[in-house]
Amino acid sequence: MKILLKIAWRNIWRNKGRSAALLTAIVIGLWAGVVTVGLMTGLLDQRIDNLIDSEIAHLQAHHPEFREEHRPEMVLPDVTKLTTWLDEHQSVRSYTARSIVEGMFQSPVKTSGVRIMGVDPERERNTTTFHENLVSGDYVDADIRNPVILGLELAEEHNIEIGNRIVLTFEQLDGELASAAFNVSGFFRSGSTHYDRGNVIVHIKDIQELLSEKPVFHEIAVVLHDIEEAESVVMAINEQFDGLVAQTWDQLSPELGTIVLLGSFMLFIVTMIIMIALAFGILNTMLMALFERIREIGMLISIGMSRIRVFFMIVLEAVMLTITGAAVGMLFAWGTITLLNREGVDLALFAGGIEEIGWPTVIYPAITLGEFFSITVVVITMTLLATLYPAYKAFRVNPMEVEKDT
Amino acid sequence: MAVIRTEKICKVYNPDTIPVHALKDVSIQVEKGEFTSLVGPSGSGKTTLLNMLGALDMPSSGKSFIGDVEVTKLSDKERINFRLHNIGFVFQHYNLIPVFTARENVSFIMMLQGVAQKELLERADELLESVGLGDRKDARPHELSGGQQQRVAVARALASKPRFILADEPTANLDTKAAMNLLDIMEKMNEEQKVTFVFSTHDQRVIKRARRVVTLVDGAVHSDKTTTPDNTVKE
Repeated sequence: MKILLKIAWRNIWRNKGRSAALLTAIVIGLWAGVVTVGLMTGLLDQRIDNLIDSEIAHLQAHHPEFREEHRPEMVLPDVTKLTTWLDEHQSVRSYTARSIVEGMFQSPVKTSGVRIMGVDPERERNTTTFHENLVSGDYVDADIRNPVILGLELAEEHNIEIGNRIVLTFEQLDGELASAAFNVSGFFRSGSTHYDRGNVIVHIKDIQELLSEKPVFHEIAVVLHDIEEAESVVMAINEQFDGLVAQTWDQLSPELGTIVLLGSFMLFIVTMIIMIALAFGILNTMLMALFERIREIGMLISIGMSRIRVFFMIVLEAVMLTITGAAVGMLFAWGTITLLNREGVDLALFAGGIEEIGWPTVIYPAITLGEFFSITVVVITMTLLATLYPAYKAFRVNPMEVEKDT
Repeated sequence: MAVIRTEKICKVYNPDTIPVHALKDVSIQVEKGEFTSLVGPSGSGKTTLLNMLGALDMPSSGKSFIGDVEVTKLSDKERINFRLHNIGFVFQHYNLIPVFTARENVSFIMMLQGVAQKELLERADELLESVGLGDRKDARPHELSGGQQQRVAVARALASKPRFILADEPTANLDTKAAMNLLDIMEKMNEEQKVTFVFSTHDQRVIKRARRVVTLVDGAVHSDKTTTPDNTVKE
């Protein structure tokens, strides 16, 4: 074995240019694989986290038809019983109840259709990160009468500044229309311009006063200690409470699940293309190296080196190159991911439009240790597979090749 | 017992298309301590015969023995192992391992044989001394002249303590001085250590020094002349 290691290692460096090219291919292959996975994972994770953390939470409960009809009278029944249950459940970290109505947003400039969401600012802060989207002004607990916060896009469309007054009109529970003036306390940017144009946030007590005589809630968003428990908690709620439906985050936003699946599939395809290109590069280089050394291999077999040793000599050359390349590639990839994760990758220049549909324009690539090592294992495996054919060709060399003129 | 013996070996290339009869019923015997040249014009079959003697190729018919082992009955794997322990090779193009030093090239075959590290290094040094390259043992092939490389090849061939050495046109790429120097070394080993050498050559410098000359013409033995120590020639 020692002798094979020795000859294989020396053989690698007999043509430094070619070995350097092969090493570079392995380093780039691994680096590209890891960074692609990191970018894609970061993009998907951010999209999911953003949606979950800022609004959806891990699960929600509604009137069974509310999500389809959005009628103001479709309120959650017996909310106190549900909140008491949530208070006592060990898996629940926090929750927030919301009142949501569809309505009209009127400014001196024009009128727009919006979704008006009444939130308890204290509970909302403990449950979601939506308050972090505030880019200027104050949240809905501002010390003014009827505060409202708007998306930046909506504010720009209506030429509104903080302190301006707008009118919200919506249907009450009894079917009558209610209108009230609200004072703009701040602007938010959620990451989705579509969302920012169509949503306004108000204090829950302000809207509840207008909706009906007693407090009503249309939605309860719950955050658990562990997102993995969402399904079991949802099942428990649905079993114990009548007149409402609880759903997990992926049921609430099925397109998110599809996107994750599609993203993973695309990631697989891209990674495989990189790996196959790498494998063919290695196959080509190793075959070239082999054909140049065919007489030498003939000599080795002539003087008594067994064919299996010749086979492993070629495989070892590739293994050593791969391990060296993989180590350097892993180092570069880890460094790149760490750096990009800290600085972020700003896609605004290339894909400003993706923000429109809620995707982040600044991606923070992330990769798990498992993914990182999986890619490394794939690169090493592909390299070894690519070496099997040249190694087999070496195994089959006729010893009389030694006598052939070059 | 003869070191090498062939019985009516024939070699036919392309038997199913355009048959080429490279060897025709060749029966020769090489005794221990011989210094023999296989000579003949190009295409006469000397390299083919050398390949048969070295168990690098198998005849289409006939038998070939090394000692009491019928090599024509061995499998490819067995023949490789047999060559490792019984036959030394010197090739026309030297064919040293370019990434190894002279010392490592000589040691390599002993490593394959499983000789202990200390012993193989001592033997490699001794052999390099014996071919006059004691001071060049750390040089790589590209740092050596053609003659020096061929001397390393001779040392390598001897390293495995073979029964005999086959040399295919060993002087073909050497100038006169280097060729004579190499022949001196091989002749000395033959005389002092009774190492058996069989050459294929058409180099007159080698033919003149050989004590037995087997001439091949069209794949058959045309003549077989032995020069005795008193310079009389026997056919």
